[in-house]
Amino acid sequence: MFSSYKNKLVLAVLSTSFALSALSAATNIDHAVIYKDNYKVKVTDRLYAKKHFNFGREATKEEIAGWDIDVRPDGKGLPEGKGTIVEGEKIYIEKCASCHGDFGEGKHGYPELAGGEGTTVLQRVNGETEEPLRTVGSYWPYASTLWDYINRAMPFPAPKTLTADEVYALTIYILYLNDIKINGKEIDEDFVLTKDNFKDIKLPNEKNFYPQEPNMKKTIHPDVKNTRCMKNCAKKNRKLVHVLSDLTSLEPLKRKKFVETKSVGQEKYEAACAVCHDSDAMGAPKLGDKKVWSKLIKQGKKTLYKNAIHGKGAMPPKGGTNYSDETIKKIIDYMIKKGS
Amino acid sequence: MNNKETNKERFPSTAKLLKQIAKESESVKKNDRRDFLKKGFMFSAGAAAGSTFFTTKANAIDLPPKVPAVSKRLGKGVVDTPYGMPSKFESHVARRTQSWLTPDSIASISMSPIQEIKGIITPNGLHFERYHAGIANVNPDEYRLMIHGLVKKPILLTLEDIMRYPSVSRINFLECPANGGMEWRGPQMKALQFTHGMMSCSQWTGVYLKTILADLGVSPKGTWVLAEGGDGSACSRSIPMEKILDDAILAYGQNGEMLRPEQGYPIRLFLPGWEGNTSIKWLRRLEIGDKPWHHREETSKYTDLIKDGKSIRFSWVQEANSVITSPCPEHPWKGLKKGYVEIEGLAWSGRGKIKLVDISLDGGVNWKKAKLKGMVLPKAWTRFSYLHKWDGKPLLLQSRAIDETGYVQPTLKQLRDARGVESIYHKNSIHTWKVYQDGKVENVQFV
Repeated sequence: MFSSYKNKLVLAVLSTSFALSALSAATNIDHAVIYKDNYKVKVTDRLYAKKHFNFGREATKEEIAGWDIDVRPDGKGLPEGKGTIVEGEKIYIEKCASCHGDFGEGKHGYPELAGGEGTTVLQRVNGETEEPLRTVGSYWPYASTLWDYINRAMPFPAPKTLTADEVYALTIYILYLNDIKINGKEIDEDFVLTKDNFKDIKLPNEKNFYPQEPNMKKTIHPDVKNTRCMKNCAKKNRKLVHVLSDLTSLEPLKRKKFVETKSVGQEKYEAACAVCHDSDAMGAPKLGDKKVWSKLIKQGKKTLYKNAIHGKGAMPPKGGTNYSDETIKKIIDYMIKKGS
Repeated sequence: MNNKETNKERFPSTAKLLKQIAKESESVKKNDRRDFLKKGFMFSAGAAAGSTFFTTKANAIDLPPKVPAVSKRLGKGVVDTPYGMPSKFESHVARRTQSWLTPDSIASISMSPIQEIKGIITPNGLHFERYHAGIANVNPDEYRLMIHGLVKKPILLTLEDIMRYPSVSRINFLECPANGGMEWRGPQMKALQFTHGMMSCSQWTGVYLKTILADLGVSPKGTWVLAEGGDGSACSRSIPMEKILDDAILAYGQNGEMLRPEQGYPIRLFLPGWEGNTSIKWLRRLEIGDKPWHHREETSKYTDLIKDGKSIRFSWVQEANSVITSPCPEHPWKGLKKGYVEIEGLAWSGRGKIKLVDISLDGGVNWKKAKLKGMVLPKAWTRFSYLHKWDGKPLLLQSRAIDETGYVQPTLKQLRDARGVESIYHKNSIHTWKVYQDGKVENVQFV
């Protein structure tokens, strides 16, 4: 790659103005460089392949057990435990209903968990206003996702605080709210969900997800195909849609005219005193240095006024200004404010 | 005292010189003494307008031929701000959100001010944010990454361990697949920050995950990897091993410094070109398995519901996309004289390099080739430019990106025909700005 780029440079230097103009007529400006190599191949595969570093240390079984919380649709990862809808309802009302609603209908913009059966084909076009609801019953493909998510992320303000039994109970209760049938039967009070009967749960929308195995790993090929048309590619008089109801609710941010509001003390300080007191130059007490100023403030305002007006150490009377005593006092007031 | 003063005058010290400068700056201000008095009066009267009045005045006297006050005094010294911040005049360049998008700010998203970004790198403080349980503040001393599952040797790595591996730095964009997702059913947002701001581009530094996996002895059955975050939501995604071995990075660096907490400090997974949600932040665990996990962020969310009720899952790649950033609603052509003006924008593709960008001035009827600017890198923001001679007439501006695979950015109609209007994610259609005669720029769509 480098040599070809170099050749281009040589060409550009040696060429006549004709060749130069041909170059400038190319796709890019601003010395744009299209890198020809694929540097993942260059950097790692060639240099580091088959090298071993062996940093870190082996993880123990106990360490892995503490963190390995994931659950798969085939039931792998489910721990021992059990739960019923009666237990689930109690926990749900206490810990979930405030956001998800008493019946999983959602609240304050938090997700609905139940209902919405048959809504996934709805489209809000041509005046239709009903939208698809993506609930556990109407949309989610696997019940294991519910167990896994409650266990890892819920309840929202206190994730990972539920016991395995509580998660089983909440899972079966939310499935019950969605009228899910297990082995053709409605979930009743006697049903006890465990890791052994978990695989019997099938959610109705599973079949509507694609790609299915074995193609899941292949990145989806784009489902639309545009072509590079250059002339008369669209009708000239199409209807234009403008922003009907502005949802930005905020005007775009633009640079504000900067309005400074300064006290007389600050203004005068910046004009004459900042030169020394904005830093610790010449041992001046630095503006805003609380350590230094806490000691000074202890001496009392009157002393500070006096020292500033009559001078002290390297500080000449009034800092060498012709400010009035009143102005000096205002400056001291400002400096005390910044230092406390 | 007098002797001291005389000595000082004879041998002017730095202190004396500094004082002299101070005196001079005071004498300059003397000319404005009456203004000062007036200002003081207005403050004491408590009139809010007083400050505005004085500022206008101050601006006026700072213009040529007068020498501005700032040129006649000293400023703050080094290390006054140990970690530097932008000019106070740039406070409008900030991340913003829309409160109606989410019920709270903890599980929410903010948009990057891409209308203000220069070049192809997003400053770290302006990178868009997306959290599922807020920002996790991870202590690097207590950070551990666990890699286990179908491997001979499960390991626990400290941050120091990870940073000892050979590093790699890549410039890549990171985009939320919901970028633009509010506009499937029509234009809704009045600003570029809100139509396209769920993305950023940074130089990410870290270690290729394949470099580490080579140490562990991955079983041939290990075809999927679960990545899990250490935040409250323990955000998790299933990633095919092909992607992990291709270009997945364990990233700790972002534009020359350690990751910001917002971006997953100290370690995030980074998957170039893939939807942002897969680049798991505050990464705590990688498990090698033989099947995908179908977790919440790849079933309930981040799946594309199509109009027939079917859903596409694992739609990981951010396909080629582009948008004109100047002009835009935030940067209209107000007050612009007729004549040449640059139309500039950003193009990007999750499949590789941008090959071409075309520009249309008439809403996609006719197209012209734009020029690419600066570095053209794979899976990175690419700048494009078109010099237009504006005659003051209204325009319908569009840009269309083509990537190195030959994929051409689609029209919104093509996307809607294929998917309907309810799929939320992966809306990468050609965007239209209407430029009015007065230079105002508005977000519009064609039916």
